[in-house]
Amino acid sequence: MVDFARVQKELQECNRDVELSGIRVSPKSDNLAHLIGAIPGPHGTPYEGGTFNIDITLPDGYPFEPPKMKFTTKVWHPNISSQSGAICLDILKDQWSPALTLKTALLSIQALLSTPEPDDPQDAVVAKQYLRDYQTFVGTARYWTETFAKASALGIEEKVQKLVEMGFPEALVRSTLEVVGGDENMALEKLCSG
Amino acid sequence: MRLKRWFSFIFQVALTDVDFTFCCRDLLYKPVVLACGHVSCFWCVHRSMSVICESHCPVCRSPYQHFPTICQLLHFLLLKLYPATYKRRENQVLEDEKKSGHFSPQIDRLVSASHAKEGLNHVSDLAQFAAISSQDSLSSDPCFRNNGEACVNIQQLNSVSSSEEHGRTYSKEKTGEGLEVIGGHAVDEKLWQRNYNGSCKQVSVGDVLCASCKQLLFRPVVLNCGHVYCEACMVIMADETLKCQVCESPHPSGFPKVCWELHHFLGEQFPEAYALRNCNSQLTGVHSQHNGQTTCSTKSRKRGVNFSFPAEDDHIADVHIGAGCDSCGMYPIIGDRYRCRDCVEDIGFDLCGDCYNTRSKLPGRFNQQHTPEHKFELVKSTAVHDMMLRLLRGQLEDVSAAIRAAEALETPENVFPSPANDAPENSDSDVGGDVSVTDAVEDQTDEESLY
Repeated sequence: MVDFARVQKELQECNRDVELSGIRVSPKSDNLAHLIGAIPGPHGTPYEGGTFNIDITLPDGYPFEPPKMKFTTKVWHPNISSQSGAICLDILKDQWSPALTLKTALLSIQALLSTPEPDDPQDAVVAKQYLRDYQTFVGTARYWTETFAKASALGIEEKVQKLVEMGFPEALVRSTLEVVGGDENMALEKLCSG
Repeated sequence: MRLKRWFSFIFQVALTDVDFTFCCRDLLYKPVVLACGHVSCFWCVHRSMSVICESHCPVCRSPYQHFPTICQLLHFLLLKLYPATYKRRENQVLEDEKKSGHFSPQIDRLVSASHAKEGLNHVSDLAQFAAISSQDSLSSDPCFRNNGEACVNIQQLNSVSSSEEHGRTYSKEKTGEGLEVIGGHAVDEKLWQRNYNGSCKQVSVGDVLCASCKQLLFRPVVLNCGHVYCEACMVIMADETLKCQVCESPHPSGFPKVCWELHHFLGEQFPEAYALRNCNSQLTGVHSQHNGQTTCSTKSRKRGVNFSFPAEDDHIADVHIGAGCDSCGMYPIIGDRYRCRDCVEDIGFDLCGDCYNTRSKLPGRFNQQHTPEHKFELVKSTAVHDMMLRLLRGQLEDVSAAIRAAEALETPENVFPSPANDAPENSDSDVGGDVSVTDAVEDQTDEESLY
């Protein structure tokens, strides 16, 4: 049984200093066991300027078990799968402590973005590139940030507007955009096929 | 990957208010102090302990094996400081306990005669306090002015009608100053606390005395049995073990570290007296005696009772998964385990080999109605057995999953009536069906990998 009283408190605490930390956590639905976190890319890294969305699922044992987190925004990083968004971070596995919170876990992920650990990779391809050709790695990471992390952060309302003008119902547009991680073209494709 | 260097920073962020636990992020309820000096709720500690090997403090990750007894001094202190919130927490925890069927110890029943009297005083204090709560907040307003909080005071005089509104105005004030405040209730309570202080019913030195020197605690340390001493008052026995001078139970995990939360609280609450104690101890140089031991944890851990842990394979057979000793708190029990045959509670009553042999008279860690007349039986560890069972079950699950998958493949065939009744043709269609299904699966995986 998830300790929802604690989750509620964590959300309040986290939202109190959003301006300072830039880290947001919001419930995905009425159920507090499924949340969405957003972290800004750290300054001085190829991820700067992007906003990265993280899907959070709380297991029954939370806070005595770690929350399950994965990126929904595509990101080019040795410790984050470029395919699935899975994160390789010890505090989300065996080093979890109930003293940590969703906010501190997200802070750690933000710290991970600025200090990649290619010797313990999640995505071997990215790690290889990081070690052998750092310049290309930085270029790719920056390109991915521009393409995926900025597009989703900038003008989600505009995208909704655009798709609504095409004749899709607004609620459906919003949920579809959320599912595809804010990518306009993929959302359109999905809306047309579904 | 590892991100150790971030921990200190992260924990600073996590621990914003000393009176709040890191686990449930609410007021401490039935506080337990670990050997590293960190405080948490009874249930938070119990739930965060590992059932199969040694546990680690959620804050500093120092290892520990013993579930400490509730610290009654802190319990009564919190009750006095935050009566309403503590009551709310009590009800909340009691509800959870009813759901789970396991109950934490009733503290009032546990206390010794002298303590019990004190407890009664507390209760009557509380009753009085509750009765005059609303008037109290108004009548003590002059005290606020004395405390130099005139601005809060004026606002309150203008707008006060209930204590709840107090909380709200106060919280505005507080957040305006950019201070961390957790929840309306807490703010309300802090105000109460101030009122409490103002009306001269504040926490007295008598609430925070050392169990040994009977003076105001200085650099408090809490033993496994929940009794609190000054760091300098701890006496190390000739055989290098620590023993509580009140209940005579041995402290198992080396020299305990100073409970900094209580230390800071005392420093704020009794600035002059605490400073005086500080001077005295520096003059006599008493507390420096233990400094080496408290800072060097590895060295101090060698003191006291040593336990080997199931890191070595040959100890796995001795681990009693999920069973803790009700006397010393070892969890899980490693080595001999004696189970009480007469305790009817769900949670049971167990003793480790050492505690059984020393005939410990301590009550249980939970609310068991254990008496010395109860008979014990030696229990064999089921760790290996359990593990085998789990492995077997895992295999069985694999098998059943395979069967289910096979059934799933067969169902389309059942839906579509086979075209002919001839056996060979039937088998042909079978193969066809299989192939088409696997194709579909392959297509799916292809799509996924592309995505």
